[in-house]
Amino acid sequence: MTRPFILSASIAEAAFAVPESAAPILRAAEAAGLDLLVMGRSGARPFDAQVLLAWAAPLTSRLGLVATVPASNAHPFHVARALSAIDFLSAGRTGWSVVSEGAPQGMGEDMVGAARALWDGWGSDTLILDKASGRYLDASKVSVSNYEGAFFKVVGPVNAMRPPLGHPLLVVDGDAPLAVADADIALFADGQAVPSASKRLLKVAPDADLAETVARFEAGEIDGLHFTLTEALSQLPLIGARFGALVSARSAESGDLRARLGLPIPSTASNQPGGAVIPENA
Amino acid sequence: MMDKQIHLWAFLQGIGFFPSGWMHERANPAGVFSMDYYARVAKLAEQGMFDAIVFGDQLQSRGAGGRTPERMAMPTLDPVSLLTAMAAVTKHVGLVATVSTTYNTPQMLAERFGTMERISGGRAGWNIVTTAHPDTAPNFGEDDLPPKDERYRHAKEVVAKACELWSAMDREGPLLPQGRPVLVQAGQSPDGRDFAARTAEAIFCPAANIEAGVDFRSDLRTRIAAVGRDPDGVRIMPGLSCVLGGTEEEARATHLAILDLADDALAIEYLSESLGCDLTAFDPAGAIPVDTILDRTILPKADIARAITPAQEKGTPLGTFAANFMRHPRGHNVFLGTPEQMADMMIAWRDAGACDGFTLQPSYMPGGLEDFVEQVVPLLQQRGRLRTEYPGSTLRETLGLPAREPVTA
Repeated sequence: MTRPFILSASIAEAAFAVPESAAPILRAAEAAGLDLLVMGRSGARPFDAQVLLAWAAPLTSRLGLVATVPASNAHPFHVARALSAIDFLSAGRTGWSVVSEGAPQGMGEDMVGAARALWDGWGSDTLILDKASGRYLDASKVSVSNYEGAFFKVVGPVNAMRPPLGHPLLVVDGDAPLAVADADIALFADGQAVPSASKRLLKVAPDADLAETVARFEAGEIDGLHFTLTEALSQLPLIGARFGALVSARSAESGDLRARLGLPIPSTASNQPGGAVIPENA
Repeated sequence: MMDKQIHLWAFLQGIGFFPSGWMHERANPAGVFSMDYYARVAKLAEQGMFDAIVFGDQLQSRGAGGRTPERMAMPTLDPVSLLTAMAAVTKHVGLVATVSTTYNTPQMLAERFGTMERISGGRAGWNIVTTAHPDTAPNFGEDDLPPKDERYRHAKEVVAKACELWSAMDREGPLLPQGRPVLVQAGQSPDGRDFAARTAEAIFCPAANIEAGVDFRSDLRTRIAAVGRDPDGVRIMPGLSCVLGGTEEEARATHLAILDLADDALAIEYLSESLGCDLTAFDPAGAIPVDTILDRTILPKADIARAITPAQEKGTPLGTFAANFMRHPRGHNVFLGTPEQMADMMIAWRDAGACDGFTLQPSYMPGGLEDFVEQVVPLLQQRGRLRTEYPGSTLRETLGLPAREPVTA
């Protein structure tokens, strides 16, 4: 597959939490060709991003929905369940970005480890759903996690299915980096240390230079761009006009974000190569 | 004077009320993993003029003794997520999520429900639970649940603190359309009933028959008045499952056919979960292994002994006991009959003061909800007992409560 150019943006406007504002912003984000919309960011979360992801799921079809999760005000058991549900509702378009502001050192990484362990407690092929035999699932594919970190101890199994993506995309931000070696996507600014991740998105303003962006992408220095939105409804059309051509070949895509962005689950992150499969005969 | 109106709530967790419901030909067990399914049932509930959709919840995987059941449907996806997604595709129906006060901080609860309240345009409700299953504690780094009285004491503090936080969110804006989510409760014990009387604006309960409904509602209304609240400001909504048919005989036959979808293995898995002890290795034709159950159960032993002793004394085999146990799930009213008979029954309960309405628990999903909405809802409307349009947009308006409640608990 051709290496995809990735367009991403974050939004932390309080007005995004009401439907009259949020619906047009979601439409504008899809129209601009965004691959990822990160809800909230480090230090700015005027809403519960996981809740807004669920609301956005049925109103979008190709946009990746990324929740900013504060390590100090969340629990991995709840986070693992919410993101699993949203990944089903969005047919595999979910991501998360754990931010550690105000949290003790290591808590963000612990959150990631615990949620991953819970998702890995369910095999990809656990469900059977066979009405004739009465077998709903294969219990041998479900196991306890017994995760023990410095902050979170979680036995499991979690009462949620492994998500369709296996693990939602893990997004790390150079502004609030996590010591996680196998993140999927890193956001970084020029001059900032780039967090370790499979894909690297450069933080720029909506009027960034197109030719320079293409050159840096072709040199393999970056995999795409990330915008920090402050006036989403006016900025998204500008972003679409300037950079939309870089993603237009993929504009008809929907669903499975890992397949679309060329991001298999890192083997270091999971005991299984893929996400949950729902039997079709059910 | 207008006839007493019947409120309807839809309890839609899982794939239906009966453990064997997921195997019914009109059940859709794969659907519960797709948005299409939730959009369809949310719109059905709105078509049926339901006040609200409710999802129950647990914070532990189903099963007993470390074994996950193979034959019980258990897609317990996070209720806040499911309901908020349903908000995006509906305009009126309320959305009530079950969330624990023991394993969430007030800050987490306030942000989650506050966001749900804003993005749904004022349709959020919180079914407050304290969490009773002992398997939950190890998922949150603890060995044991706090004792029940402590859980309720803590719940009171958590609700009060969450209300303060909603008040602050409301002042900062954007407004929370209802001021805070509607508070809902389902406690059965004296502690639970007192908590509900002080806190709740709607209450679920099991009531197997009209007398049980009258007793429960009278007791709650007395308790509500005793703490200085108006009993008419609280909706009491007993559970109601049903199997409909063109004739009563047909409904009874369909009910038996649903129950017959369950084999001994499913019945024993269901019993194992209910008793908190894995019995799947025992012979269904053998005696009930009472000593093993009482030795291994993780649930209160006295309650479990009360449930099994009568059957043990009669010499009932394990498989038969499990099958009987599964046929009478959780003490709810299971109606079998025609749509006309069902409408009559519902009106009789309402007029007798046994309820303010019902929490419908369809036998299988989505077929059971479709039947009710298509066959019973129009009868209730023709008889002037169910609205034909929503009175406003928020859940409080739908419930007939003051639009914005003072933010105290």
